[in-house]
Amino acid sequence: MALFRSEEHIERWLAGRAPGQTLPVTKLSELALAWWGDRLDPDWRPHTRDENQGILDRLNLREAFWTLP
Amino acid sequence: MDEADRALRNVTFGLFVDLGRAPTSDQVARAGGVSRDEVRSAWLRLHSAHALVLTPAGTEIRMANPFSGIPTPYRVQSAGRWWYANCAWDAFGVCAALHTDGRIETSCPDCGQPIAIEVHAGCPDDEALVFHCLVPVAHWWDDIVFT
Repeated sequence: MALFRSEEHIERWLAGRAPGQTLPVTKLSELALAWWGDRLDPDWRPHTRDENQGILDRLNLREAFWTLP
Repeated sequence: MDEADRALRNVTFGLFVDLGRAPTSDQVARAGGVSRDEVRSAWLRLHSAHALVLTPAGTEIRMANPFSGIPTPYRVQSAGRWWYANCAWDAFGVCAALHTDGRIETSCPDCGQPIAIEVHAGCPDDEALVFHCLVPVAHWWDDIVFT
């Protein structure tokens, strides 16, 4: 899970390997806020699988790539 | 995850933030009022539950996501300290978890050029950057360090 300067840099870095998924950094930031925002709460409880999938769905990450087991 | 393990997990993460680095099992034992062996047993269960990641020896913290227990290419300045994050996602996660603005420093894996991002109110100041996730979500925990 890495940050790149542009999609051209990703393509060159992949060097023919199958790509994963590329997101704008703004989407990554939204995802991080939803995923990690409660991580230090004193009453933290683990997210359920469905709660985490809901975060991905709400950000329109609905492809099979983003489907939790 | 039972209540005792959840409580020790919260003590572990709280100490990570207080210390600015991964706490030892002795430190968590003192803070949690339990023995070192109890901490290590709980950590193993939390590792199995993907609530943290231990080193291969199973005695130290490798990841208390989004924080990293070891140096990585993702450094985050936030809440008056520098932190290491496990990946790009976790780098933003450090600011999100601390509920603070921050600065992320890394480099492009392709060209090696430095990348520095200021994060204000959850928003990055350089919107031209892109994030790539190589491993499908269903396989993240097959090898979380590689992911």
